[in-house]
Amino acid sequence: MMRTSILLAGVAGAIGVVPRCTAQVMRTFSASRPVAAERFLHVTLDFSGGTLVLLPATNGQLYGMKLSYDADHSSPVQQYDPRTGILRLGVESTGSNGIRVTSRRQLEQTARVEFSPDVPLVLYANLGAGDASLDLGALTLTELNLHGTASRASVDFSRPTLGVCKSATFTVGAAELDVRHLAAAGCAAINVDGAVGSVSLAFDGAWRRDATLTVDLSMGGLTLKVPRGVAVRVAAERFLAPFEGKGFVRAGNTWTTPGFDQAPQKLRVELKAAMVGIQVRWIEP
Amino acid sequence: MRAGNRHAALLFLAALIPAASVAAAPVGDGMGHVPERLRRLLLGALLYEGGPAPQAVRAADSTGPTVNPSRLDQPVRLERELRAALRKPISATRLTVTGGTARIGAYSVGSAETIHGHLVILEGSAEVHGRVEGNVVTLDGDVTVFPGGSIAGDVLAIGGAVHRVGNGSISGTEQELAAATTVPDAQPVPILTRIVGRAAGLTGLLVVLLVLGLGLVTFGRPNLEIVSDTVAHSFGRSFLAGLLGQVLVLPTFGMLVIGLALTIAGALLIPFAVAVYVLVVVVTTIGGLLAVAHAAGERVSHRRMARGVSISPNSYRYIVTGLGMAAMIWLAWIIFGWVPVAGTLMLTAAGLATWSLATVGFGAALLSRGGMREHFAGRLISPEMMTDEYLWATPQFGVPAVKRPEKRDE
Repeated sequence: MMRTSILLAGVAGAIGVVPRCTAQVMRTFSASRPVAAERFLHVTLDFSGGTLVLLPATNGQLYGMKLSYDADHSSPVQQYDPRTGILRLGVESTGSNGIRVTSRRQLEQTARVEFSPDVPLVLYANLGAGDASLDLGALTLTELNLHGTASRASVDFSRPTLGVCKSATFTVGAAELDVRHLAAAGCAAINVDGAVGSVSLAFDGAWRRDATLTVDLSMGGLTLKVPRGVAVRVAAERFLAPFEGKGFVRAGNTWTTPGFDQAPQKLRVELKAAMVGIQVRWIEP
Repeated sequence: MRAGNRHAALLFLAALIPAASVAAAPVGDGMGHVPERLRRLLLGALLYEGGPAPQAVRAADSTGPTVNPSRLDQPVRLERELRAALRKPISATRLTVTGGTARIGAYSVGSAETIHGHLVILEGSAEVHGRVEGNVVTLDGDVTVFPGGSIAGDVLAIGGAVHRVGNGSISGTEQELAAATTVPDAQPVPILTRIVGRAAGLTGLLVVLLVLGLGLVTFGRPNLEIVSDTVAHSFGRSFLAGLLGQVLVLPTFGMLVIGLALTIAGALLIPFAVAVYVLVVVVTTIGGLLAVAHAAGERVSHRRMARGVSISPNSYRYIVTGLGMAAMIWLAWIIFGWVPVAGTLMLTAAGLATWSLATVGFGAALLSRGGMREHFAGRLISPEMMTDEYLWATPQFGVPAVKRPEKRDE
């Protein structure tokens, strides 16, 4: 009887034992700087993992960042040199891991980043795993370079950008990229370099200038959404990459919409694709 | 007196004292105007929330702690350095600030005052009515820039906040590094619930494998038995073949796709080939695992029969027995998986054991070509073992004695 009681007590104790729960140490960090007499801002934005939101600043800030980060595995980054205009922002994994995610908890990090619309901006964004939502509308964007490793990135030019945009480059690893209102970006050259992923580029929005799109994709899907009325010429080098698009006249490896040379708005696409499904969809204005 | 009442009383007293000239001095320093000093003392008492008494921090000796706040781009590191410099009692703290000064407790920069150099405030807030030509850092305190006040450099509030009142200005970067907050994970699942959940998962998997296994016995027994015999008779060889097969699965897939892509007709077949390839790999893996279970069950059944236990030896029994044995591997983890280190070890061991069995089964399925080749199943007698004796017919009623030939006389 005694033994049975002890045994039962032991079992009950074992069942009642709750493993020591681990806890996550989150910290918040914010940084901002008012606009002074900056001529340009050259930004490198590193975000190892989590949710990133980027917006134009509305309160006279040169830049601002509000960050909630996993203090066990990450540390905030904020380095600005007012003499050169070079800014490094974001959060990076501690140790030698760079922006790589080393803990699932890093995916719970959040960042809200803002840049002044009045200062010419060169933006290099390196995104690790996670979701990123970038609204670059109304910024004075001169160059954009977005590198996504294993992320889902949504880029929107909700309003026409200011200034002259030299180029916008999107490099995706195993990622999903959705770019909207790309016409409003006004970038002369748009480059997409991807390994495995799904890429959607919508050229809607206020058309600022003719553009040349260069795409090099290895595996996945590419969808181009073009407003009806914009003339498109696609020169494609394909390997197992079916091209699907209506309203094109094919000549060899080139697909052209009728009246391309006379059209006021032109989009030239140079495409290298292997095992990629290519679609061109027309958007009604 | 409650805190709220105390604050109200002090504020009332401070308001009664006529505002003096705005030429103020830092709290505790200088010889300001008496009413202003009194007013400041009252305000200081109002702001005082049990923090350390305001005082200057003496510089450390050459081997003591030193911080350089000229660049505030590594706030976490700076916080670590500052916290490491703190001593108990706080007055024993020694800290050298490169290009600036350090203070403990609340500190105020008077409206007519200009501080040249950086300012580090430990365990207190900084109020800036005047001008600071340098960076300001607080540890566990706020930075407030009042109207007319300005900071020409950067500001970092560790464990505090930065406030600007009116036209108080900060030329540089404002940074706030909040104190760490521990976010507990979701409510831990009770152990019994975990055990039941895992047991249910295992049972579900077992039932699925059982159904597949019984179906395989019903519709493909000859193939299953050949793969099972291959496992039993060529265990090591099957493991090696399985290992090699796993390594070659992806390259083979790539070669298949590329090979098909080289021809127009082949390119059309790629989707079909991909689906078939994946199906073959999955079927081979699951079928191989079931064959291992069959072999194990057969071995156990034979041993029981050898001990005199009366059972019906058939493939259905073998499958059930073998899968039950495989489940035993995971049972230990299900019951004791919640134990912090041992649970992980059990999970690893169970995973490795299952992978090994699957590898053996996969290899046996490859060696036997899916149960169509008996070469490794130990069923055939090798040609080397064949002699003429097997060709001789044995007389049914014995061999009649033959009289020994007599010796012929020479």
